[in-house]
Amino acid sequence: MKYLAFILLVWFKTNQTSQETYVCKNAKISIYSKAPLEDIDAVSTKGTSVLNAGTGDVAFSIPIKSLTFEKSLMQEHFNENYMESDKYPNATFKGKIQEKVDVSKNGVYPVTATGVLEVHGVKQNRTIPGKIIVNSGVVSLATDFNVQCKDHQIDIPQLVFKKIAETIQVKVSATYTSYKKPNS
Amino acid sequence: MKFYQKAVFLAAFILPGVTGYAQNKSARDTSATDSLLNSLSADEKADPVLATFKSTRLILTETTETIKKNNLNFLVVHRFGDIAGADGGGKTLWGLDNSSDIYIGFEYGLTNNLDIDFGRSKYEQLLELGLKYALLRQTSDDKIPFALTVVGKTGLKPYSVTTNVYDDYTNRLNYFVQAIFARKFSSRLSLQVAPSFLRNNLPYPYIAGNEKNIFSLSAAGRLKITKRMGIVVDYAHPFSSFRDKSNSPKFYDPSAVGIEMETGGHVFTLNLSNAQAISPINYLADTESKWTKGQYRIGFTITRVFDLNHKHKGTYK
Repeated sequence: MKYLAFILLVWFKTNQTSQETYVCKNAKISIYSKAPLEDIDAVSTKGTSVLNAGTGDVAFSIPIKSLTFEKSLMQEHFNENYMESDKYPNATFKGKIQEKVDVSKNGVYPVTATGVLEVHGVKQNRTIPGKIIVNSGVVSLATDFNVQCKDHQIDIPQLVFKKIAETIQVKVSATYTSYKKPNS
Repeated sequence: MKFYQKAVFLAAFILPGVTGYAQNKSARDTSATDSLLNSLSADEKADPVLATFKSTRLILTETTETIKKNNLNFLVVHRFGDIAGADGGGKTLWGLDNSSDIYIGFEYGLTNNLDIDFGRSKYEQLLELGLKYALLRQTSDDKIPFALTVVGKTGLKPYSVTTNVYDDYTNRLNYFVQAIFARKFSSRLSLQVAPSFLRNNLPYPYIAGNEKNIFSLSAAGRLKITKRMGIVVDYAHPFSSFRDKSNSPKFYDPSAVGIEMETGGHVFTLNLSNAQAISPINYLADTESKWTKGQYRIGFTITRVFDLNHKHKGTYK
């Protein structure tokens, strides 16, 4: 019984929310891919993110359908054929920032987040570099990285393969606000 | 006692394993971060359901889809001659020598929900001008469980083709209104029903007793078999006592079955139908071909959407 109690104690301790929790409801995500016929270029400002500066936990979620393309047909194909966003509505990243960041001091902190990137229902272990910017109490995060279509089983049919590049560049930026636990 | 120890040992062994596995799966996120993230996304409003149909047309009927703003859809629709029966067979290469109808049309998106359509059929040389408005879109949370699009068309037959009864210019005009209800049941299955009203100022075909006004009901659907290919069916029933009773000519309900292929920009339908005409103004009033008499034909529809939004500015910043 002692063992169980000990295990549970440790488990709950790690689950405690720290006071240094930051949230963002309008994270900006843009994707770009250069291709011989048509560039893919879309943006969303509807990403959500949680950052725990104490534990280094960081999480992002982006509704795929919120990515807006210049060409509406491309947007439809992106959702319907490639991302299957009815089935997999969100792309997420959940990880931990390896470095310790002191959010009480202004500065630009290069960081790396190790965790799982889930796109199109396929999870990939990734280590993604980025930076945390602290400017007079305002915490923001920025990163850019590449996503390989084949890593996430995003099929590119042979018929149109020339239109779509196999690598998608992704840029993410989020400006956080301090999260106050709602009074219960 | 031994059993109890065993159980504790086992639990001690399994529990870190489970939590370790959970960490592996969801990347060390604490459940607090997770639930916080979920609560942030919870108040997002539901999305409209995408691509109930891949094109503005199935085979006979239009779908609930409209052309998006500043996009131009170019359509070529073709119906060949009878495959079998008296007019078909090898001597006409199973109908490929003949064309029952050819339609060339354009659809342009005025807004994301409203498009304007223009087209011309070989059958009766019908010119038509129409508006199509997407009134309701199905939402993913089923608050709106179906899509509703209304279609209004005016047809003009500028020449006297099968008759010379064009004593009055208004006799050349025809009107068609339709309400299309569609629901995407899953990513594979979409169905629609469409009540409609057709008025021919001069009842067509020009036979005594024919009605100027015809109500009808269409039903159509698509079942996707692969991501880019689906089986489509289309059926219409005109409510017309004249058509039910008439023996010469005899009228039949227009129906069609086909395969729809999508290649990113193009949507291509290869179909078989007993209807000769492509426009509802023509096929609802006058379908005299019967499947069992070999009077069905190969047809195809090609649609190509051109995006005329020129001010493409990069958004990747």
